[in-house]
Amino acid sequence: MSVFTKMYRGETHFDIVGMAKRTLWVSLALVVLSLLLLLVRPLNLSIDFTGGVIVTVENQVDATVGDVRDALTAVGEGGARVQLTGEGFILIQTEALDSEAQDELVLVAADVAGASINEVTIDAVGPTFGEEVTRAAIEALVVFLLIVALFITWRFEWKMALAALAALFHDLIITAGLFSLLGFIVTPATVIALLTILGYSLYDTVVVFDKVNENVDLMHDRYTYTEIVNTSMNQVLMRSINTSLTSLIPVGSLLFVGSFALGAETLREFALALFIGIGLGTYSSIFVAAPLLAIWKEREPEWQTAAKRARRRRGDGGKDAPQDEVVEAAPVQAAPPAPLGPSGAVARPPRKRKKRR
Amino acid sequence: MNRKNAIITLVLTLAIAWGSLGAMLLAGWAPILGLDLQGGFSVVLVGPEGTDPDTLDAAVGIMRRRIEGVGSVQEPDIRVQGNRSIVVQLPGVEDRERALEAVGTTGEMSFRPVYEIAQQSPALTDPDADHPENLDPETGLSDPDDVDAEIAYLPGEAGLIVYVVGPAFLTGSDMKGGRAGTSGVAAEVVVVPEFTTEGGEKFRIATGELATYPVNSPQRQLAIVVDGVVTSAPAVAADVDPNEGLDPNQVVITIGASDNPQAEAEDLAAILNYGALPTTFERERVESVSATLGADSLRAGLIAGLLGLALVAVYMVVYYRVLGVIAVVGLTVFGSLLVGTIILLGQTITTTLTLAGVTGVVVSIGITLDSYIVYFERVKEEYHSGRPLRQAIDHSYPRAFNTILKGDAVTALAAVLLYVLAIGPVKGFALILGIATLIDVLVSYFYTRPTTWLVAHSALGEGGWFSIRGAMGKGDRQSKPVEPAEVTL
Repeated sequence: MSVFTKMYRGETHFDIVGMAKRTLWVSLALVVLSLLLLLVRPLNLSIDFTGGVIVTVENQVDATVGDVRDALTAVGEGGARVQLTGEGFILIQTEALDSEAQDELVLVAADVAGASINEVTIDAVGPTFGEEVTRAAIEALVVFLLIVALFITWRFEWKMALAALAALFHDLIITAGLFSLLGFIVTPATVIALLTILGYSLYDTVVVFDKVNENVDLMHDRYTYTEIVNTSMNQVLMRSINTSLTSLIPVGSLLFVGSFALGAETLREFALALFIGIGLGTYSSIFVAAPLLAIWKEREPEWQTAAKRARRRRGDGGKDAPQDEVVEAAPVQAAPPAPLGPSGAVARPPRKRKKRR
Repeated sequence: MNRKNAIITLVLTLAIAWGSLGAMLLAGWAPILGLDLQGGFSVVLVGPEGTDPDTLDAAVGIMRRRIEGVGSVQEPDIRVQGNRSIVVQLPGVEDRERALEAVGTTGEMSFRPVYEIAQQSPALTDPDADHPENLDPETGLSDPDDVDAEIAYLPGEAGLIVYVVGPAFLTGSDMKGGRAGTSGVAAEVVVVPEFTTEGGEKFRIATGELATYPVNSPQRQLAIVVDGVVTSAPAVAADVDPNEGLDPNQVVITIGASDNPQAEAEDLAAILNYGALPTTFERERVESVSATLGADSLRAGLIAGLLGLALVAVYMVVYYRVLGVIAVVGLTVFGSLLVGTIILLGQTITTTLTLAGVTGVVVSIGITLDSYIVYFERVKEEYHSGRPLRQAIDHSYPRAFNTILKGDAVTALAAVLLYVLAIGPVKGFALILGIATLIDVLVSYFYTRPTTWLVAHSALGEGGWFSIRGAMGKGDRQSKPVEPAEVTL
């Protein structure tokens, strides 16, 4: 059977925790790199956060940058950033201005571009409003992380919550690093994208942990925690890949249609952040959250005993069980209950069978 | 689950989802588009620190009245946001300058003595006479902001008459407020103004002066000027002693002949309470989107959504065969419910669909498809562990639903938090996302479960490449069928 057939049938036996012992270093390196990048090149925040004025007007008289700048200097706005876009628009960006100065800027822009005042698009944010937006965004993020941690602790356990948060930060920091690298502007839409990424990453992690917990109940007296995590990961692998694909396809078409084909630039940064983030979220729930959890849980006395027992049973000295054994081990959850030992974790009252029919 | 139940559930679900959307579309309802999609103008005004919530509400009321005067605004949306901000959204507004003026910072209310009442500005009727400076050359009216001008020509409310007035003797800061009420046996509608101590004294002296003029002379009138317009000009009553003036604690302003005296009294009381606008607002955020840019964004969002949907549908059908078809039809159920809810919210509490909302819709496609994938992968897993197909399908659902619930709960939690904490466009996104998770759970339970059951019990369950069994993949299964109880815990 080819790997793809196996994947299709959910019968792969990748040693994901084993692989993750290497890929975790890559992730760590990327996170550190992103942090350094963010220090050197802070994020390019839009006027929504910093305050400022952007005036856009269609250039109807072929005014040059010089013309615009001269007109602006005449009203004391010589420091404004002037840009002529490919679509024939004049773009003027200044610091935050008061109401009168905004009106003046609109008048000047209309005049120099040969347009009427109502054709001028103005986008102005006062400094306090910018601060408020930033504060609200940070507040939302912090509360979100706290509640998520509590939720996972409640539904699962606190170690899973920490592992999930580690995966979250991994996604966030690397996405932010990419934004810094590409010099993209961070807008409120980007913040939405980031928060969505958090949701996705978390959703994925919750699905994986749910499976791990289910398998722990089934397999806990025969297998090590790492083996259980590996089995669970292989079982949810196809779901993870399919879900990412079906999420990435619409977002990808938003990215492609929105930014390249139709030139709706507002969509570009948003879709890009989503695209990168969803990919990272899938990756991190498989290669960051679950392996971290496995490595951590293996240190618990209960699971160390389980590991020893598993090794003894396989007549294997002090080393970890070779991967092939895990391969054999995986389908055992479906085996008849008899060899499952005295704990009785798998035995069920017979009445349940009747119900199922 | 039996056939009858499954069919009833499915038919009801489809009828509700498709029927309600169809009915709304037939009724001509459509989502209300936000500014960024249809073009328009938006301003966020921020009052000083510690602004009283009542003051904000009053300002919203005054702004709304003024905006309606501007015309060409379809659905002005003016609301208080946070502790001291007011958001004004004017979709499709043409005359931006007037709109800004209507909601922007404006002059104060003042009381000014009337000297003369004319049909039009004396500067127009008699251009050679002596006139105050700085008149508007076209209308012949004075600068409305200069309340201290010795003589000013100001228009009456409908612009039909022009008042010649003197310098203001009272301004908004001399007023404590006013309230509408009725008085006397005839139950006339009146407004009772309330003055500060200082303001009351000024008022007493001023009315004393006015009382020296003969009864019926326009000079006995007191112009209440708001935004440079004389909104009302009550005359001092005949029995007022010029030496004493009016007692500021016993003043009532009687509303004369009017179609709706009560409304007029309330308007005047509001003006006395708050002047032009109760407080000065700073424009903190101005945003305008041209109608073409809005239409472009909407088109881009729609095309992206449809293209994404088509690609995803192809992928799902190729990968999951007939199960994929179930998912694709399920997407239309999900989509109908989501769009229906958006329309309904628009019609009832005027929630607008913004660009952020459209992206929320696109993102929610992924969320709802995941629910199918979780379920189908679960079925495959149980099938390969040796369970008969139909049993695997029934048996997987509760467990898969559990996972779907948990996942949707996390997303819904995120959406609620975002909605509560965030401001601006993020709110629109969070709203759609939250609704989408709720609909996803409903669709999974009331559509996916019965449909999959019905298909499994039809010819499409077992036979051929396209069937459910076909989607399970070929090859060996666990040879020995397992009793159900051992697998699920």
